[in-house]
Amino acid sequence: MSWRGELNKVLSATYKNWIISKRNVFTVFELIFWPFIGLLSIGLLTRFLEVGDDMVAFVLVGAIALSILQISQIDVAYILLFDLWSKSIKQTFVSPVRGYHLVLGAMLFGVIRGVAVFLVLAAASGHLFGFDFLAGGAVTVIVFLAGTFITSASIGMVVCISILLFGQRADVAAWTLSGIMMLVSGVYYPVSILPGPLQILSKSIPLTYLLEYYRSAYGYGSHQILLGMALALLYFFASLLILNLAIERARRTGMMLRLSE
Amino acid sequence: MRAEKICKSFRRLFKEKMILFDISLSIEEGEVFGILGPNGAGKTTLMSIFSTLIRPDKGSLEVLGRDALRDTHAIRERINISSGNPNFPWSLTVRENLRHSAMLYGLYGRRLYRSVDDAISAFELGPQSDAKFETLSTGQKQRVSLAKSILNRPQILFLDEPTSGLDPEMAMKTRDLIKKIYQEEEITVVLTTHYMPEAEELCDRIAFLREGRLAALGTPKELKRALQIGHRITIEYQGVIDPVRLRIIPGVMEVRELSGRVEMVFDHSGRTFSTIIKAFDGADILDIEIEQPDLEDVFLELAR
Repeated sequence: MSWRGELNKVLSATYKNWIISKRNVFTVFELIFWPFIGLLSIGLLTRFLEVGDDMVAFVLVGAIALSILQISQIDVAYILLFDLWSKSIKQTFVSPVRGYHLVLGAMLFGVIRGVAVFLVLAAASGHLFGFDFLAGGAVTVIVFLAGTFITSASIGMVVCISILLFGQRADVAAWTLSGIMMLVSGVYYPVSILPGPLQILSKSIPLTYLLEYYRSAYGYGSHQILLGMALALLYFFASLLILNLAIERARRTGMMLRLSE
Repeated sequence: MRAEKICKSFRRLFKEKMILFDISLSIEEGEVFGILGPNGAGKTTLMSIFSTLIRPDKGSLEVLGRDALRDTHAIRERINISSGNPNFPWSLTVRENLRHSAMLYGLYGRRLYRSVDDAISAFELGPQSDAKFETLSTGQKQRVSLAKSILNRPQILFLDEPTSGLDPEMAMKTRDLIKKIYQEEEITVVLTTHYMPEAEELCDRIAFLREGRLAALGTPKELKRALQIGHRITIEYQGVIDPVRLRIIPGVMEVRELSGRVEMVFDHSGRTFSTIIKAFDGADILDIEIEQPDLEDVFLELAR
């Protein structure tokens, strides 16, 4: 198989997600409405509480990160979710496509949508609340976004793994995992206020380090971005490996047929 | 393609159900091979194993000279399947679905566009090419599935109930297309069907499955002969005959007497037919009707 053939296998997931998204009115809500409402609510809350600019930056970074995470992870989860809802999973898995083709293709679309959401929210937060998203420089933004996209892909893969292991009902994971991340990784508060066991858990989540890294540009303590990126990459490759194992298991157990019925 | 002692079971809620038991068969290059059997016989499961969608619990499978349990991706590049009751992403149009499928098979550039156009044209999907999959009729969905199955010019084509849901005219066209594809492209076709005349028209050899076991395997002619399913003859006559003379004719399997009419089932080999006619020498034969046995009879016999 030539490199162009391999590339098109990757782009097949990008193509499918793009077509479905452009036809779906829900996309407008995913990309603009909910992220904007979330940002606006948090921004107005900071006004009500009369907190300083540094605290405004702290919570807005969290609100923006959460929106990017949610949009990018769902794009990777859509690898299976769209097929699951249309009962067409076997059309994908009878073809000579591998897990990484699907993940990379869907991730590419997730990155495009994630960057679009970031730009919209950064512009809105700058205009409405005076938040300068480039305060730490372009490199900080790029590293933060790259880490968030890699982490999102891992969450999306966990959703796919759950569906392949437990069946259709596991699609609820697509909306719950990012909620758990929000609680544990300190999206709206420093992880130091969490109870002991949750603090330990937060140290195993890359998003915690990514948030600390971005916030450090606004004067909030130190960061361990290398550890955060290493964890993000570790989880990404581990998820990819487990996804392939879950696909093979679904072929053995017949789950692949049941998900198409 | 060669399958040796393929077994498959599915587990649901701690209960294991055996679906296939020790299926061994080989399918030669270029032949049209039918898998027949009643509902629940394991046809779709066997087809899914052959097409590498699912794995067997036990046994070995060789497809296109490769180990189908190890070299699955290399095999998938060279095969394709059209499943019964097909589904595709519902908000994609016919053309978009075919383009997406072609990309999954690694097609690119002009070959991708040409393959999609050819498939649309082959299955007369032009008027529906820009219609969303969810708006198509059952027959049109079936044709999309068939169109998808030829995109990568497969060496083995698996067709699961290829004419189910099609109107008689489209079903006939589809059968003609299947014949054309395997004759022109010299590919191997493996199909499952409930429709016996279709199997008889298309298949060189047939495997009958019953309750997950291989009940019979052979050409349609061999199966009829092996099961001693004979020709059916109905003779209307005037006068007197001796039914005992009919029953003792070698090759006559069944005799039913009605007023002025006799129905018999007989083996058409040897001199049976002329001996039957001689047994009517005391009467005038008014009409003779002979029906050849078909696969429906074989199916009913095997499904018992």
